[in-house]
Amino acid sequence: MTAMYLFLAAMLLPMLSGLFLLFFQGKLKNRTLKCILIFLVMALTAGLTVRLMCFEDYQLVLWHLTDKLDILVRMDNMTRLFAGMTVTAWTLGGVFAFEYMKHEEKEDRYFGFYLIVMGVLIGLDHAGNLITLYLFFELMTLSSLPLVLHTLTHDAVMAGLKYLFYSVAGAFLALFGIFYLYAHGAGLPFCEGGYLMVLDAYSGSGKMTLLVLMLMIVGFGTKAGMFPLHGWLPTAHPVAPAPASAVLSGIITKSGVLAIIRVVFYTVGADVLRGSWVQYTWMTLALITVFMGSMMAYKEQVLKKRLAYSTVSQVSYILFGLSVLNQDGMVGALSHFVFHSVVKDCLFLVAGVIIYKTGKKTVKELTGIGKEMPITMWCFTLVSITLVGIPPTSGFISKWYLAEGSLQTGIGGYAWFGPVVLLLSAMLTAGYLLPISIQSFFPGEGYHYQELRKKEPNLLMLIPMLLFTAAAVVFGMFPGRFLGFLQMTAADVIR
Amino acid sequence: MNLARNFVENFPCFSIVLCMVAGILSTPIKGNHAKRITLLVVILVTCMSAATFLYVVSTGTSFVYTMGKYPAPWGNEIRAGVLETMLATVFSLVMLFSLLGGMDHVFKDIPEEKINLYFILVDLLLSSLLAIIYTNDLFTGYVFVEINTIAACGMIMIRKIGRSLVAATRYMVMSLIGSGLFLIGLAMLYDITGHLLMENAHLVMNQLVQEGKYSVPLLVIISFITVGLAIKSGLYPFHSWMPDAYGYSTVSSSSILSSLVSKSYIILLIKIFYRVIGFDNIVNSKIVDVLFVFGLAGMVMGSVGAIMAKDIYRMIAFSSVAQIGYVYMGIGLETEAGMVAAIFHILTHAITKSLLFLAAKGLNNVSGRKRVFYALQGSAFRNPLAGVAFLVGSLSMVGIPMLSGFISKLLFATAALGAAREKVLITLIVLAVSTILNAIYFLHTVVRIYTPVHVPEEFKNVHVRVSKGAALAVFSLICMNFILGLLSQPITDLIQVGIAMFA
Amino acid sequence: MSSVYLVLPVVLPIVGGALMPILHLPDKKRNLLLEILVLLTSAIALLCVYRRPEAGFTLFHLTGNLDFALRLDGLGSVFTCLIAILWPLSTLYAFEYMRHEERTTSFFAFYTMTYGVTMGIAMAENLVTMYLFYELLTLVSVYLVMHPMTKKAIRASRTYLYYSIGGAAFAFISLIFVIVFGDTTDFILGGVLNMEKIGNNVSTMLFVYLLSFWGFGVKAAVFPFQGWLPKASVAPTPVTALLHAVAVVKSGAFALMRLTYYCFGPDFIRGTWVHFAVMSIAMLSIIYGSTMAVKETHFKRRLAFSTISNLSYIVLALTMMSPLGLLAGISHLVFHAVMKIGSFFSAGAILHQSKKEYVDELDGLAKKMPFVFTVFTLCGLSLIGIPLFAGFVSKWNIAAAAMEVGEQYPYAYMAVMVLLYSALMTAVYILTVAIRAWFPDRGKELHSNEKITDPNWEMKLPLGLFAITVLVFGVCSEPLMQVFRAVVQGTF
Repeated sequence: MTAMYLFLAAMLLPMLSGLFLLFFQGKLKNRTLKCILIFLVMALTAGLTVRLMCFEDYQLVLWHLTDKLDILVRMDNMTRLFAGMTVTAWTLGGVFAFEYMKHEEKEDRYFGFYLIVMGVLIGLDHAGNLITLYLFFELMTLSSLPLVLHTLTHDAVMAGLKYLFYSVAGAFLALFGIFYLYAHGAGLPFCEGGYLMVLDAYSGSGKMTLLVLMLMIVGFGTKAGMFPLHGWLPTAHPVAPAPASAVLSGIITKSGVLAIIRVVFYTVGADVLRGSWVQYTWMTLALITVFMGSMMAYKEQVLKKRLAYSTVSQVSYILFGLSVLNQDGMVGALSHFVFHSVVKDCLFLVAGVIIYKTGKKTVKELTGIGKEMPITMWCFTLVSITLVGIPPTSGFISKWYLAEGSLQTGIGGYAWFGPVVLLLSAMLTAGYLLPISIQSFFPGEGYHYQELRKKEPNLLMLIPMLLFTAAAVVFGMFPGRFLGFLQMTAADVIR
Repeated sequence: MNLARNFVENFPCFSIVLCMVAGILSTPIKGNHAKRITLLVVILVTCMSAATFLYVVSTGTSFVYTMGKYPAPWGNEIRAGVLETMLATVFSLVMLFSLLGGMDHVFKDIPEEKINLYFILVDLLLSSLLAIIYTNDLFTGYVFVEINTIAACGMIMIRKIGRSLVAATRYMVMSLIGSGLFLIGLAMLYDITGHLLMENAHLVMNQLVQEGKYSVPLLVIISFITVGLAIKSGLYPFHSWMPDAYGYSTVSSSSILSSLVSKSYIILLIKIFYRVIGFDNIVNSKIVDVLFVFGLAGMVMGSVGAIMAKDIYRMIAFSSVAQIGYVYMGIGLETEAGMVAAIFHILTHAITKSLLFLAAKGLNNVSGRKRVFYALQGSAFRNPLAGVAFLVGSLSMVGIPMLSGFISKLLFATAALGAAREKVLITLIVLAVSTILNAIYFLHTVVRIYTPVHVPEEFKNVHVRVSKGAALAVFSLICMNFILGLLSQPITDLIQVGIAMFA
Repeated sequence: MSSVYLVLPVVLPIVGGALMPILHLPDKKRNLLLEILVLLTSAIALLCVYRRPEAGFTLFHLTGNLDFALRLDGLGSVFTCLIAILWPLSTLYAFEYMRHEERTTSFFAFYTMTYGVTMGIAMAENLVTMYLFYELLTLVSVYLVMHPMTKKAIRASRTYLYYSIGGAAFAFISLIFVIVFGDTTDFILGGVLNMEKIGNNVSTMLFVYLLSFWGFGVKAAVFPFQGWLPKASVAPTPVTALLHAVAVVKSGAFALMRLTYYCFGPDFIRGTWVHFAVMSIAMLSIIYGSTMAVKETHFKRRLAFSTISNLSYIVLALTMMSPLGLLAGISHLVFHAVMKIGSFFSAGAILHQSKKEYVDELDGLAKKMPFVFTVFTLCGLSLIGIPLFAGFVSKWNIAAAAMEVGEQYPYAYMAVMVLLYSALMTAVYILTVAIRAWFPDRGKELHSNEKITDPNWEMKLPLGLFAITVLVFGVCSEPLMQVFRAVVQGTF
């Protein structure tokens, strides 16, 4: 019981606060007070979520939507992982936004929707069955849309609509699968390792089930930017305000990942897919995305768009790790989830600082900027190294596990293909991130040293970046307990 | 009572004679008085026919009445059964209302010195209609067919505008071709059978068929009689005289001609089929199949013609072509149910068509006597009675339940299901298609007369005073339509009884 | 309760409506009188449903074994309730909407008469009675389409007339066949066909079903006879909303339900070529309606195309020929009526207050009319099928029905794909309007000088109620679904 109330509080507090803010846009004149209140809401929500995570694993019916469909919430390790990451990133992103949004208009609307999405995501992370997952998935798309088109330029609105329709299309593809599974008796609450193999009453045909699963993976994969439905990501993420891009890339894309995890590992069970054409296709699509995303990032000149392509590529590392269907792969995937979120949030925040302080958007313009804002660029450099995967950073750990997982799949030659692509992509990642750092610290001759002025941002912006960077580095150096946690989680769901 | 019983049996003959006498009497009298005489005669005839009808229904059999002193095989006979008397009653009622409705126009359209001639023609027409309905011998039948033709022609022609003369001439030519063919057929029939009385001819006919003699001449006889009467009744493709004839005569004439005259030939044809040649023989000769096909064609082409018509009278006239197609289709189904449907439709159409013509004339009057459609815009508001009449008539044609047209459709469709396999689906589909076509032109006009937009300036404030007689006529016709629509069961039963008596 | 009372909801509005032009009342009094009349009729109708008379009431004996008779069974009760609840609300809305129009008395006369006729369809005991009221519905509603008396309106009304009468002409064929080959023309769950009488004519019977499916389907705007509906959107909004989103088109869907489940019987059709034919027709209509709606820029016409596709959701559900299909059809019949009337009324309010007809004129308008656009957005989200809204529940039911049939006839899986395609298109054509209204492009703040506000209470009340209903049914649909289930099983 207490768990239910806590959950409702954790979910509704930000949503209602957000709605409140939307209704009373522009009425609260004291900006500092407003920011403090928003911070309190986020912190409180985070606190409630953490408190929830301390409970034993549970499963609760929230509401009977119809006689066959329930809204269900659950607590397990996956929930803890995702929810914990969400609230942390969200709070830090919110703090950053307090400063950043001075630069934009209509911040009340921004924070309103920001808080609503926070609540929706908490609901999503705690979803206990497919229908609840789908419900929050759609709500998330709808409520995050205003964040994308916040600036209301023509490009922003167009990008927002593109985001919307891709997301809705993907969600509907997945919905087909949900219809099918429910109609054939597989509409049960999530269960570690899936329940399809042991379900007597399952009346679906084998072939149809596989097809349906493919549709669901592609459908939910849209949110995660997986080829072929990735086209919205490079358009939508750059056009949002920087703190929003951060959480879009860092957290919201991962909700697609969570959905796939829930479908594959908590509904049908990995064994259903193992060795099938669905697994091969999934692996292939993920690898294509990894490679393609890195290539596009390498060529791209606009910083935020480069980071967006990078997201496309990196999230598919996670999907690849899941697609190999073994424990090491999953550990790699989940750890990469955390590390990438931390890193990408930080990178976007840096981009945001650069825009905020200098208005510069393209990579070429960033020569020597390390001299103007050294702390910021040090953060940038450290997390970039993490992302590339150079030991002893955290990125290396996740990449190691991914490679291990790939080699263990036992599907012959293809197993080697995975690590090769990962390696290539790592090189490209280095190619598109490290030069920026180098250029910024060593601008070379053309730079006007005389005009050098310190443009370091203030604490509100610095602290989140520093915290992210610290997390990236620390996890890399002392991964033990964290990895242990992940290994336990993986062992629960994959035999 | 014996005397009463026998007295009633005189009525049919009496009606016919009365009409002829009235006609003769009207020769020296002025128009006004002639009108009164005619109206009185029609009312009397209606009453007498009704009485006979009730009488025949109560006795349950038909009776034969010999006119004149010539015995068989030549003499003149009439026969009154349920069907004949029902038809006679309805026809005289319709004639009464047509006259009442169009009375004002009779006095406007026809030059004053000729008005009494008009009424004489009406009297003659009534007598010939009755005679055709009642006749039991071929000679009487033929004679009155000719009288019918002449009277009808006269009624068209009497309105002395150029177009009427052309229409009348056309009518005359087509009609006489029909009569000619009919006569040849009759002559051959007499030649073969040696009888003019229907029953006697029938007996001989049966014998001949059994013996297998004269099979080719028999076919020729059937064809000539059928084609002859078909031309006269306006079966497609012999319909070309109709639109002009109905369009350019005075409204009472159009009404009477389209409702009654063309139907009388069909009735005669049915009678000959049943009583002289025998229905089975007809079926064997495949002539009904020809009628069926032409009937279907008429249903569609008549409506197509109506859609393309440029003025309202032509539209209604083409609609008649279509409706007569329905009747022939019903006959062509070769079943009893089909015949019942056909006869019911004769009744329906008689009532509805005169209603439509009266309504059209009324709308026309408040539109500067222009016939073209744009002039009729919004005219229902200028002449509400005519508007309502046209609305009811159109809805009946389209087949809205509660009106007689729906029952007709119901009877035709149900009959179709009992017919030969090949005919079922085509009948139903053509029925549906023709309903749609009917809807197109009738409802288009209804919408037009009820939408007072773009009304030509000249007509905006025209109103008309409708005479009591016209109002009564229209009202009665509407009532009759509803009666047929709502209380059709007894009527259908009686028709069935009547057909049984026919044979 | 005596079955005589069944006559009242049918006759009262017809007589009351017909009397209006004669009484020559001033507008306010007339409106009051009409609203009272409509409320009274609704009250009697709801009472009849609540205390349902077992027997029917024969109005008139037509011929042979054909009567005009009224009777309330499960399905009829659902439809009766739906109309009874929606009509007073839309009459209220119409008063405000038509305030500045001409010839309002004749408008409201026909509007009210349509109420009675629709009741007649809902309560018809047999096919003949339903056919009678079906034809009458065409006749009384055609005036409403014609009302603006512009050339466009008159042409639209003629199109409507021809399509409807044409459809009825083909539906008539089924009437004949049921008379000849059925035990009775009464509506009985499971069908009334007498297989012995049919004998070898099964394929003819099937073909006749197809013809009458199209015939009755004209009013339900099935492909290819949907052309009249977008044209009819030129009528005033209360007409388009009520008639072409609720009364006329739902009567068409209702008639198809009666035809399929209560006359011919689903077992007769299932598995035959006609089964696949009608499923395909429904799917085509859905695809056509949704796609055209995306292309259309006139707001009301866009919603009209949306109606075409949504009606075919109901028809698609029906064509599954299973109890689950009928259940899904009934649920979407009810939910869609509410959603669509909410959407149309919003569009009407926008038109009425700002005279804007095209979607590209609506950028940023939500700021000035937040109430109306909130209602529109909520109804729109329901149309797309977002969970927590009523539309999701009925879509789920349709998909579930299709999935069940799909096990035996895999063709039905196509139905679900078509449903999802349509949902995506719906998202496109609804959300582009909503988003651009709430989040206009910078520089497209058109309307800043114009004085546009939310409408007054007569329009806001129905709008608000519809939005709330959509949410309530989205979250708590179970009680209603139980009623529908009982109807489908024949126990209601």
